[in-house]
Amino acid sequence: MTSTKSIHDAPSVWQGDMPVTNRYTFGLAGERFFRAIKDDEKIFGSRCSTCDWVYVPAVEFCERCLKKTGEWLDVGTVGEIITFTEVHIGYGGEPLEKPEIIALVRFGDGGLIHRLETTDLEAVEIGQQARVVFKPASERQGSILDISHFEIV
Amino acid sequence: MSNQVKNYPGTSLSEQDIRQDKVLSVHDSLEAEFAWDTGQAIRRYLAGLKEGVITGTHCSHCRRTVVPPRTVCEWCFNPMHDYVQISDTGTVNTYSLCYVTWDVQRIKEPEIPAVIELDGASPLHGIMHKLGEIEPGDVSIGMRVQAVWKPAEQREGAITDILYFKPLEE
Repeated sequence: MTSTKSIHDAPSVWQGDMPVTNRYTFGLAGERFFRAIKDDEKIFGSRCSTCDWVYVPAVEFCERCLKKTGEWLDVGTVGEIITFTEVHIGYGGEPLEKPEIIALVRFGDGGLIHRLETTDLEAVEIGQQARVVFKPASERQGSILDISHFEIV
Repeated sequence: MSNQVKNYPGTSLSEQDIRQDKVLSVHDSLEAEFAWDTGQAIRRYLAGLKEGVITGTHCSHCRRTVVPPRTVCEWCFNPMHDYVQISDTGTVNTYSLCYVTWDVQRIKEPEIPAVIELDGASPLHGIMHKLGEIEPGDVSIGMRVQAVWKPAEQREGAITDILYFKPLEE
């Protein structure tokens, strides 16, 4: 019958896409944390006095003892490189023409993950000090991308 | 239930709060592309739709005809090799009046998704599609319907090659 003869007229793979968009608000602590980056070029942590632990990024509640963190601290803009990796694949899954180096930099008892300015893997070592470089104020929108990159000090 | 709640805990946000930059937010869209391997049976089903034909498979062991077709009978697990043509007429098994589109837009005139038991398939076997050329209030379970196809040159081997099912005058 018709339908069995014409099997090759139909796709063996069905392709499609779904519209998936999202809007994320940062919550009470995140709002304050990203406002400080956007407006003041400052990185804030929050301290749990019970656990003697400084969360960076700042959080509202201590995840160890669940108490409200009280004190907010300016943790500066220079931290230590804890680990790093070279990334060859972009956000959309596409190969990057020039691989980037992504580092975890310690601030307080936490840290931030971001690009390094350098793309030379040989120039990076664990333990080096790295500084946050902010985008110009006019370009800052209130997100982690208000930080342009880390530069090795 | 929800109208008995007088005070909602937490901090509510309005669209205005975000537009007026009282609250920071990031907006993102994901590339949610997919490729689904149709397999033998659905590929034949889609090829049939392009020709204006609805295809099913028959299990000789269970004496059962299913639509859409599949390669294995889920009752007895025997392979199903017999592809058969199913009629494009059938009976409404159940339906709904739907005032929200698939991508969550409100609509005033409802879409009418329905499960249609197709003639030629075993009882209680059929497909889901939409009803058309009918007032929402006139739809009833058990009513007879017939597929309305796209013009042949516009068909592409998709379930949307059937536009909708309309009431069948018998």
